[in-house]
Amino acid sequence: MNDSTINNQTHQILDVIIIGAGFSGLGMAIQLQQANINNIAILERDKEVGGCWRDNQYPGAACDIPSNLYSFSFAPNPNWSRAYSSSHEILQYIKSLVSDFELQRYIRFNTNVKKLAFDEKAGFWTIKTDETKNLKARSVVIASGPLANCSFPNIPNLKEYKGHKIHSARWDHDFDFSGKKVALVGTGASAVQIIPELVNKANHLTIFQRTPAWVLPRLDARTPHWVTSLFRKIPSAQKLTRQALFALHEIGALGLIWNSPLTSAMQQVALKHLQHQVKDPWLQRQLTPNFRIGCKRVLMSSDYYPALQQPNCKLITWPIARMSEKGIRCVEGIEHQFDCIVFATGFDIGTQTAPFSVKGIGGRDLGEDWKRGAQAYKSINISGYPNLFLTFGPNSGPGHNSALVYVESQLNYAVQGIQRILNEDLARLDVRKKSQEKYNIQIQKRLSKTNWNSGCKSWYLTEDGFNATMFPGFATQYSVQMSQFEDKDYDRTPA
Amino acid sequence: MASIDLEKMRQKIKDTQWALVDFDWESPGAEKITAKQWPKLKTFMADLMWIEHVGARGFAALAKSAPTENLREIYTYFHAEEQRHANAEMALMKRWGMLEENESPVPSANLRLVIEWLERYADDTPFNLLATLIPMLEVALDGALCKYLLETVDDPLCHKVFAKINDDESRHLGVGFTVMEMQGKGPHYIKLIQLLGHLVDPRLIAGAMVYFPLLNSMRDNLIAMGMEEEKLYRSMEKFKKIGGRTSQGRRNPWFQVIHYHGTIMVNRSNYFYHVPVDMLVALSNKIPRRLLPAPPSWVAELTHRPIA
Repeated sequence: MNDSTINNQTHQILDVIIIGAGFSGLGMAIQLQQANINNIAILERDKEVGGCWRDNQYPGAACDIPSNLYSFSFAPNPNWSRAYSSSHEILQYIKSLVSDFELQRYIRFNTNVKKLAFDEKAGFWTIKTDETKNLKARSVVIASGPLANCSFPNIPNLKEYKGHKIHSARWDHDFDFSGKKVALVGTGASAVQIIPELVNKANHLTIFQRTPAWVLPRLDARTPHWVTSLFRKIPSAQKLTRQALFALHEIGALGLIWNSPLTSAMQQVALKHLQHQVKDPWLQRQLTPNFRIGCKRVLMSSDYYPALQQPNCKLITWPIARMSEKGIRCVEGIEHQFDCIVFATGFDIGTQTAPFSVKGIGGRDLGEDWKRGAQAYKSINISGYPNLFLTFGPNSGPGHNSALVYVESQLNYAVQGIQRILNEDLARLDVRKKSQEKYNIQIQKRLSKTNWNSGCKSWYLTEDGFNATMFPGFATQYSVQMSQFEDKDYDRTPA
Repeated sequence: MASIDLEKMRQKIKDTQWALVDFDWESPGAEKITAKQWPKLKTFMADLMWIEHVGARGFAALAKSAPTENLREIYTYFHAEEQRHANAEMALMKRWGMLEENESPVPSANLRLVIEWLERYADDTPFNLLATLIPMLEVALDGALCKYLLETVDDPLCHKVFAKINDDESRHLGVGFTVMEMQGKGPHYIKLIQLLGHLVDPRLIAGAMVYFPLLNSMRDNLIAMGMEEEKLYRSMEKFKKIGGRTSQGRRNPWFQVIHYHGTIMVNRSNYFYHVPVDMLVALSNKIPRRLLPAPPSWVAELTHRPIA
């Protein structure tokens, strides 16, 4: 088959359709390609690859995990310019995956998936997109990512504001902040990266904080040339570095996931960091979280607190009452007026809801099935939805280590499943309901002992307090559970 | 006043927000403040505004120590609402020519000491004490000070603003008395032992040493302005009546302590209390300003400007 024609086929049933051309979608394609499965397509709703790293190009955007760990082990990059690379550099890395592994031929850009439906007799998925013609595939991998859709806060009269609005995940690079009075809503992971940049550009910056987060210093540094040269000449040195970073982050799990003496030690470090950088007692109080470290995402920044104390910056912790035509009214009775409001308010988390309509066996609907909390078997398969694989599925989130370590395990597992479907010519490979239930009972039991479920509100939890986001364990544990495809937990139906 | 559903109350609080921009601060009526009442009204408003601000700091402490997420959020709103009251009262002072642009009323020495104490110890104060003390102060504000103000001031804008403030205060009181009753649940002797433990805490003793003179000096200011002492007496009776309306309310030992203190505070014939406390008032007024510590930065959050 001529490779250049692969992504133009619409008449035939593909072996695999991957939804999303971000890190996990492209990684899936690479792994399938290496397993000699080439009859595949990647559907991407945008006109470029990159997923959340394409979308999050706000000033200061960077990763919280060192780049030597936040990259694929099968595609090492010896050229990272810093310990923690910028969003721009990560996007370049993702683009290099496309060229290095010749993935362009599989990708169909501007293809937005609307609906998936499984034909249980024929044993294939029908994928309805914006295009008129439906696509068909024996397996589908949903790799649309948990952070694909940006979320605006639930503030009354949000649309009443007539000034310029920007969401951190849809940055307006044409807007000139100089001389402007700017508000920034949110103090999460994006906000602490934007604020130090924006405070230097805007005439005045007002930060609206609902709850403060624990902030650890970020030990970032430019990569020395000799290190880059070493990694190029001796790849095993980079591999060793990656393993050391992995081990270091694994130790962090002891403090971040479970309440332990290490949790107290980490909280003390964060507290000392705050006290060292902020001298005013009231500001210190405003910035001190009232929950144990680890309960919510821990932030990494060494320049967030200094930025807040710039003369042209102000932190507001009053609750927001409503938006008005010119700004934000807070409960202290004052209307704060701005030229522009930046919303650094995160995402609608994809692990908690179905990203689009997914119809499984007997017309069952994934949105309905997940209404009372998303569940999957080992985060990757869902009973009643055969031949469907998820990346970043329910309970696969790390709180302490690189998400890509988890993704690699998922890719490996998905390849094993897809190989069975193709090699054994299966119409359906469906995880057993009981196995899924048993797995989730265990996961929720383990989650109840973690810091995430210790009482604070976070984006890890649904409104009802159900944790469908995080994996309660070490990354190593996750990798072990994903290393072997558990045949005994699946029903197989021959084609 | 029956116990209220705190979940519903939280939503009600969110649904009934108002802002300073809702009022026309240039509307006619400011001229109705007479030259005779102006100087005393200025002192009264400054005291009122500071007591709101000090109350705000108390709610901030409660927002930290409240036992449930719902109460923590309610108190977070109340903290901001008390700040709004202080801001609105400053805006009225500005309207009446009592403040220059960017000026804040100068707090008295007693207030400065209370602010300093709050800055140091408010967050460590027992929840049960603050959650009972603040309703008492609010009853005094609602039942005596605000009523008196509206009886003596004819400016229609003042009445409109205080209609909103009083609506807020009634919700604060509703929550306050409900929480006070919640504290009456559980074994009595444990509460009593805890109370005794707190009463000998040096931080609380220091708090009493600055709080008692503040009340006495405020009472003197009010009397000097022409307010009948009877009004204060009646508001303390109201606090005693509502706070003690149920057996649970009466079993809250802090309620017993605070209403007893309120009773002797408004009874001038109790020399054992008033002579030493009045001496403390006189003493605190003699403290040179330069020896008082700089005000904490939360004080700088006050503003009379409706728009920032």
